[in-house]
Amino acid sequence: MYGWIWRHLPGNVWIKALISLLLVLAVVYVLFQYVFPWAEPLLPFNDVTVDNQ
Amino acid sequence: MRVIVRTVSELCITVGAVMVLFVAYVLFWTGVRADGVMHDQIDQLHRQWSQSAAHPSATASKGSGGSGASGSPASPAAPAAYHYGKPFAIMYIPRLGFTWNKPVLEGTGTDVLKKGLAHYARTARLGQVGNFAVAGHRRTYGDPFKDFPRLRPGDAIVLTDGTTWFTYRIDKGPYKTVPSDVEVINPVPRKSGYTRPGRYLTLTTCDPEWGHSHRLIVWAHLDSTQPVEAGKPSALRR
Repeated sequence: MYGWIWRHLPGNVWIKALISLLLVLAVVYVLFQYVFPWAEPLLPFNDVTVDNQ
Repeated sequence: MRVIVRTVSELCITVGAVMVLFVAYVLFWTGVRADGVMHDQIDQLHRQWSQSAAHPSATASKGSGGSGASGSPASPAAPAAYHYGKPFAIMYIPRLGFTWNKPVLEGTGTDVLKKGLAHYARTARLGQVGNFAVAGHRRTYGDPFKDFPRLRPGDAIVLTDGTTWFTYRIDKGPYKTVPSDVEVINPVPRKSGYTRPGRYLTLTTCDPEWGHSHRLIVWAHLDSTQPVEAGKPSALRR
């Protein structure tokens, strides 16, 4: 999977490394901004009220 | 075959990395975000209050009452409407730390609890007869009630709505109960030891610290009020 991505990135090793880094950062951003805020309420830490009104 | 093994391994490592990131998000990032948001809410309140102090007429037209300061301390008058998701007071609990202060917002939705302490919408208003009930996160989102079990009878819970300081004193708690026990936020809370209507305050949070099987409760009664012009109440002075 990662080997496939690496082979399909353009440029030499340094450019590939730079693009990989940007890709990783983009994935982390999407996770923190959209995926985790969606998943977090599924955990019990929000249940602090009585009867969840 | 080799390709399959490699792909599966890479997927496992990816899932593991995402889980670690998620833990970091819950433990750390929600706190960072919540601290910023709570700070903003408190700033917003201070701005709002200084504006209404500077323009009493604007306050009167909005109905939030410049008369609160001069009114009788037992019945802080002319209350502004509480709007869902909007801050209306700041809470101080010296036992949780001398610098501990959090905004109190209207409503107990999860979106509200991310921004501060949440006032149960159908309970009494601050300082009024009835039960002013407030919920807060034990963990995550800034850990506002992390040290909840350290609260003891006699501890002060101080709130201000911009015109009046309200000092509540804890009478009972922390009391452990189950999540369906809605009677703890009744106007005269069951099990609280109160028998007559009065000006009460209830705080709720979850228990155990990272779980949701129980709730921790403390009850307090209104001990004293004073206008903000009179300075901070003695409970907040060092």
